[in-house]
Formats: sequence, structure tokens, C-alpha cells
Amino acid sequence: MINKKKLYPFTAIVGQESMKKALILNIINPSLGGVLIRGEKGTAKSTAVRAFAELLPQREEVEECMFSCNPDDISSLCGDCLERYKKGEDFSKRMGNMKVIDLPVSATEDRVVGTLDIEHAIKKGEKRFEPGILAMANRNILYVDEVNLLDDHVVDVLLDSAAMGVNTIEREGISYVHPAKFILIGTMNPEEGDLRPQLLDRFGMVVDVVGEKEIDNRVEVIKRRIEYEEDSHAFALKWEENQIELREKILHAMEILKKIRCHEDMYKTAAMISIELGVDGHRADISMIKTAKTVAAFDGKLEVDKKHMIEAASLVLPHRMRRRPFEEGVVEFSKVEELIRGIKDEK
Amino acid sequence: MRNNDVYPFSAIVGQDKLKKALLINVVNPSVGGVLISGEKGTGKSTLVRGLGNLIQDMEVIELPLNATEDMLIGSIDIEKALVEGKRTINNSILMKANGNILYVDEVNLLSEAIVNSLLEVSQSGISRVEREGITFMHESLFILVGTMNPEEGGLRPQFLDRFGLFVEVLGSDDLYERINIIERRIQYEENPSLFIQQWKYEDSKIWNKIKKARELISKIVVSESMMKVASEISMKANCSGHRGEIVMIEASKAIAALYGRKNITIDDLKEASQLALPHRMRDNPPDMSESDDIEKEDNNDANNEENNIDNNDQNTPENISDDMDNDQDDDGNDENRQNDNLDSIGDSDNETIDDIGNLFKVKDLDIKPLDRKRRKGAGRRSIVKTSELQGRYVRYTFPKGKYKDIAFDATLRAAAPYQDSRNKEGLALSIKKQDIREKIREKRTGSTILFVVDASGSMGAKKRMESVKGAIMSLLNDAYQKRDSVGMIAFRKEEAELILNITRSVDLAYKKLKDLPTGGKTPLTLGLYKGYEILKNAMKRNKDIIPVLVLVTDGRGNVSIGGKEPLEEALQVSKQISIEGIQTIVIDTEQDFIQLKLAEEIAKEMGADYHKLEELKAEEILNVVRNHI
Repeated sequence: MINKKKLYPFTAIVGQESMKKALILNIINPSLGGVLIRGEKGTAKSTAVRAFAELLPQREEVEECMFSCNPDDISSLCGDCLERYKKGEDFSKRMGNMKVIDLPVSATEDRVVGTLDIEHAIKKGEKRFEPGILAMANRNILYVDEVNLLDDHVVDVLLDSAAMGVNTIEREGISYVHPAKFILIGTMNPEEGDLRPQLLDRFGMVVDVVGEKEIDNRVEVIKRRIEYEEDSHAFALKWEENQIELREKILHAMEILKKIRCHEDMYKTAAMISIELGVDGHRADISMIKTAKTVAAFDGKLEVDKKHMIEAASLVLPHRMRRRPFEEGVVEFSKVEELIRGIKDEK
Repeated sequence: MRNNDVYPFSAIVGQDKLKKALLINVVNPSVGGVLISGEKGTGKSTLVRGLGNLIQDMEVIELPLNATEDMLIGSIDIEKALVEGKRTINNSILMKANGNILYVDEVNLLSEAIVNSLLEVSQSGISRVEREGITFMHESLFILVGTMNPEEGGLRPQFLDRFGLFVEVLGSDDLYERINIIERRIQYEENPSLFIQQWKYEDSKIWNKIKKARELISKIVVSESMMKVASEISMKANCSGHRGEIVMIEASKAIAALYGRKNITIDDLKEASQLALPHRMRDNPPDMSESDDIEKEDNNDANNEENNIDNNDQNTPENISDDMDNDQDDDGNDENRQNDNLDSIGDSDNETIDDIGNLFKVKDLDIKPLDRKRRKGAGRRSIVKTSELQGRYVRYTFPKGKYKDIAFDATLRAAAPYQDSRNKEGLALSIKKQDIREKIREKRTGSTILFVVDASGSMGAKKRMESVKGAIMSLLNDAYQKRDSVGMIAFRKEEAELILNITRSVDLAYKKLKDLPTGGKTPLTLGLYKGYEILKNAMKRNKDIIPVLVLVTDGRGNVSIGGKEPLEEALQVSKQISIEGIQTIVIDTEQDFIQLKLAEEIAKEMGADYHKLEELKAEEILNVVRNHI
């Protein structure tokens, strides 16, 4: 193949606004905890995630570090980099692209967490750690298609790392710790079984995607797809401007994120919503505020308003309702909206 | 890994009980650790890590879920063996844990092999290594701290008992506490180092308190009367064994010391009992309403605690059945009355949809009876040694026959000591046949439980179906935790319908069960045959499954598939099922005055366990199935 096919541009995806928004918010603020995209087959879940890779910003990383350590974040350096830092060595930095790392459902545990480097052991007689998928995922996006089909013990280790941002290996003669801070993105088809509640809760947001209902939109989906299949380069070129615009908007949001203010009343509302809905634990409240701030940043605003809160709530709450295994998880979202709208306007 | 960014212990809002339990252990390690049970996102892990950072003479050593056995107890150091030709042991987790805190996140998901090694060491405080030609012994005294989410299943009773204290954590319901939690978290994330700086003083105050209490504790004398009170409390709470009261005394010493006192008060004991007893109480504690002494309150407190755990463990089916109660009151009664009338008509074509019965209360479906069962089965239920190259590598073994799954690390270790005398042909290592070791993997395989449910008209009578649905649901609830797969076939009218293909989606099973109608004839043979086919196919796809067929019927088959007597046909298929090695359970729903005992006959032919529905409370139906698995 001479002409490699271009990726389908993210901005050319018709509809699916909340999915797109959720993905974007996670790049702007990697600490939001990732997204789980639930939906039937053929709803552009995977396309969106793949296309999303093109929008990922560049960031500084330590050269020749297998974990792409951030030279400016001393507290999350890997062992090697930390040693160099302590010795006062200078890191050679480079700009690197944030990447989408695939975690295939068939992956074995040792491939995920890393293992003993057999070749090195036999040739040199030394123990060396062979990094796994979690090592590559550090500071990147970890993408699990069909996440509900993942083996239980792989889920266990994934949870461990997702929770701590660190992968601890104690296996096969190897004792090793390395940073594993990643944005977890999963897709699943709910018909094929549930996700364990524990893993579900680790996702900052959940979006449910359905096929477009409007006939016009459905036609548009087909049209664009055909146009893309015919000439992906021309198609990509046509959307280039939108892509650039979105990329810049994301960069701007990243810049102002730290400056976003959030009024105390919003905290109170978040807490009230969580109590009202009876969510487990406190992750929902915290996520709601962080997400609202990120929504505000993407909106180009410096202060979180009710609109931002409602949008954030719609992303972080659906999977966190206290839901017994057999209860149907109906989100009474109108209640949430009511609570948020009830916040007194500022003078 | 690095301690510079740990959320400060003192900055955690609320969770006073857990904080206390952790401090008690740090002051007096003979208390024996804490098990923290609680819902997601309640700061369990954050607290433990915060504690490790606060205490300056102890570390938190983590036992990750992916740990292999050799890493836990130690094995030969390959590098040393190769370079120096010496057999030395590498630094194992248990060595590192000595004198420190051993922390296991999600301790209920730990593999069986690891739990066994851990139990051994935590009993004796000494780790013995006997492997790869090394004999080695070392002290391993540690504070065991585990967290678990009861939604994911329970712990083996012996393991549970190892934990000195037990704390259940919940999210806060207090608005201002919640706001406070959000604020601090956001502050922390915006500038971790500044935040940590701000809490340094508070943390150091706690550390000083610990140091003082540690000095004081050796001076505390426990009076005989206090010991008496402790054992009385423990007895009244119906605790098994004596560990309850011993832990209680040790914990009260720490509590008194933390208050800066040299004497233990009743209040200290009371506080200790709330932490030391909840997980040691057996079912059906004797009625404590008569007790009128000082401990009464303690008992009740502890008892409440107990109830909380139960609720939590069970994901509160109480609520579920309550809801169902209401449903029934609304519309169920009329339907049931109708059914009563239909009873005399027998195989009517009328269809009804029964609600799911509410025949069991929380207590009956308690997790503890299951645990007790499991003790007998030694965890065979959920963990099997798998023959395929899947599952978690936990330990190694000597290979039999062809090599399939070589454990490289163990192989290298086996080869390492002999390198001096071998011709290495340019490589660093020469591996001979006798060095090769294979991996033993463990995989959590639930059983595959297929319900073959008679949904004919006769089942709709007298709330039969309701009870049946209730029983099935109690199993579904359990299947959820045990990661069992479930499937369901309903046979009625002229057909046997696979209403739920084998799945792990328990939600889906629940919905299907709820909507299952009854009415029509009884094509029993068809149902059995279909069940046989489905399970056989499932076994073909995955050798590791444990197939179970649960037949729920009154046995009155009246539809023939091959032109023979319906009963004769049914018996034939039953025999086939038994030949195939599928485990079977028959639940007889026959309730008429004159009993035909047809289901019993079928059960005999299948070699099945036979039970009458009347005799099956929810608790028992579970045990019946569990006994088999």
C-alpha cells in the first residue's frame, strides 16, 4: 500500500456529542479518571477512540525512559529517572506524542504487568524487568475494547494500578515498581455481560451511546463514511480546519484549567446530589467538581456555572447510583438538574 | 513507591473508627491487624497509605494481587547463584514485611495459594523457606491490613479470624462533611506539596501520640475482673474461639494508652469490642435482651455492627425483597388467588406471570453459611487449577510429559547453582532438562449453573412459581459474587425455550426470571434434553467449567417427543445426563395431597440430589447447590 489510509477525523463523527465531549475532557484533565463508553455495535465507539489519538497533544518526556516520565513532575518519576534526578544529572528532554495503548482482551497478566526478561537472563545471567502494557500506558491512554470481557485477574491488576497510578510487580523473581498513570478508556456492549462494580467505579465517566435516531443524521453518517472510504486523504483535508480548531481549543482549555474558580455552593450541590442519590463513597462528588471545572475550561470560562455542573453530573453520575445487583439503575436525572438549578445565583 | 505525594492521614475527614483501629495496631501490634470492609471510594487505601507515611519507624509493604508464591516467601537469588555460585535467598515480601505493615488491597481477591502461605506465617510469626535446595527461617511479624469490597465476595473464615480488628467503612451522609471532603481533595490535587505541608503539624501530633502510647502500654496491667468482663462480652456475642476476647484485651490496652491512661476502663473494653468482635460473631446469637449488666450495651452495639456487615455483604437483598413485597401487595394477590382456582384445572393454557417470591430474609441468605460451607470445600468452588495457558501464575511444579507452560523464573533458579560445572556454550546459562519447571496457574472459574424450570400450568398454582423464582434469585445473587455463569431454560406448552443463554450478566438473568410466565402443558423431556445439550456445548467450549443442572419441577411430564410414555422418555434423558458427568440437583415442587413422586424417580435416574421445595428455605437451596460444587 503506497498511500496509507488516513484516520477518520474526530470532528467528522456525526452526533455522539457526549462521547466526544467525555473524551476531550479527559485529555484536558488527565486526572478525571477516564471514560467508559457503553453501547451497541456499530455506534462509532472504536472509531471515536482511534480518531481521538490524532487530537492528543504533545508533552515533554524524558528521553530514553521507557515510562515516558514527565521531567517536571518529580513525585511521579520512575526509579531510574529518580536516581538520575538525585544525582543531579540533567534529563535530555524531548517532545512526545501522547499515545493510545491497546490492551487486548486476550492479554495475559504477565504481558500486562510486565515480567522477567528471559532473553536477558539466559544471555547475561542477570535479572531484568521486561515492561508490560501498563509501563507503556504511563502518561498515555490505555484503551480496552470490550472491557467487560477482560479476564478477572487482569481486571484486578488493572484496578490496582488505576487506583494508585503505580504498578507494583512481585512475580517471577522480579520485584519492581513503576509509575502507571494512565487515562483508562473502555468500550463495552452491555448485552455481553456486566462490568464488575469495582471497575465501573474506577471510570470517571460513563457515556451511553446509541445509534442516531434522526433520519437526516443517519443519512449524514452514511454520506461521510462513503466519502471517507472513497478518498480518505481528501476527506481528512476537508476536515483539517475543524481538527485544528478543536486542537487549539483543547490546548487553550489546558492552559486555563488551573485558573478555573468554583464557588462553594457548587461543592454543596455536589454533596447534596450524592446524598440524595445515595451514591457509594465520595468519588462521585469529587469527580463532579473536577469535571465541571474542566467543562468550564473547555467552554473558555473561568468560573464554573450551573450549565457546567449539569453537564458534569450527567457524565459522572450514571454509573454511581447506589445500585444493588438486581436493581435497574434508573437515574432520575431531573432531580439532579433541579438541585443544580436551585443554586442561588450570585450577586 | 515514593512517599512525597501521599495524602496526609490527618487530613482525611471522618472515618474515626478506622483511624482508631489503625492507631491501635500501630501502638500494639499484637492486636493482629485490621480488615477494612467497605464500599468504593471511601478512602480505605488512602488512610492506610497515609498511616505508613506518618509512622516513622514502620513502612507499608504492599502485597499486590499479582504476587507469585516465590516472591511472597522467597526463593533462590539467581544473580548471586550465577555470579558467586552461592545459594542465597532473595528478599521476599515476608522478609520486607517483618516489623512493618503488610498491606493487601482487595484481600478477598487474593489467590488461594498466597492466602495459604500468608495464613501459615501470620500464625507462627515465622517464615520457613524450604525450596530449591535452600532451608531458611526468618522472623516475619507484621501488622496485616487488608481492604475488601464485600460486593466482590467474602473471605475464608480462617483468614477472616486472622484479622484482629474489623472495621466497616461507609461514605459520609453529612452534607458539611462531604463538602469538606471535596474541598480538601481539590486543594490537594491542585497543589499536593503545599497541602501536605499544611497538614504536617497535625500528622506529627498524631505521631507523638503514638510514641507516648507505645511507652505507656507496657505499664498497663489488666485486672482479672476486666478479663472476666471481656470473656463475658465475647461469650454473649456468641463468638467462636477465644481470639475475640484476647484481641479485645490487647486492643483495650492500646486504647487506654492512646488516652494516656495506665488503667483499662469499661469504656475502653466497649470500644475494643466494637472493633474486635463483629467478624467473629456466629449466626443466631442468643437473645441478649435479658442481659441487664453493663455489657448489655456493648453487646447490642456489637450486634448492630454485625447487622451492618450482613447488610453490606448481601448488597441488602432486604431492600429488594421489601420492594417485592410491595409489588405483590399491589397486584400479586389477585393473580395468586386466580392461580389457586386454576390448580384444580391443572394444565390450563392460561398464562400468568408470578412475581419473584420473597420467601427469604437477609439472615437466611447470609454470607456466613456459605463461608462455612466453603471451609469444607476448601475453596474448590471458585478456584480451579486450570489446564490451559490462562489464569494467574501462582507457583511452579515439576513437569509431567511434554512441556507446555514453562516457568522460566523457576527454571532459571533451578539451573543457577550448577552453572560452574556446566558447559555454557557462550551463553551465561546452561539449562538442562532436569531444571525445567512448569507453571501452576489458578483461574477463578465459577460454576455454570443451568436452571431447567418447569413453567407449566401446574407450577403456577398456589404461589409455587413465586417460591421457585425466589429460590432461583437467591442463587443468582450468590452467583454474582462468585462469578458463576447462569443460564435458564423454561419448558411449558409444547416447547423448551432457552430464555437465558449462559451468561455472567446476572442483571439479565434477573430480568428474564421476573418476566417468566407459567401456563400450559409440561414437556419435561424436552426441557431436560435442551438442558443437556446446552451444558454439553458449554463443556466443549471450556473444559474448566463445573456444569450444574438444576431441575425444578413436579415431574408431571405430559408431552412426549418420541412417541413413548412421557415419563419413560424423561428417564432416558436423565440417564444420559448422568452418564455425561453433569452434576444435577432436582427440586421437587409437588405439593398435592396424593403424591406421585415422579420427580424423585427422575432424580434417582440422574443420580441427582433430591430436595422438596417445602424443605428448602433460601439458605438451604444455596447450600444444596454449593455442596455439589
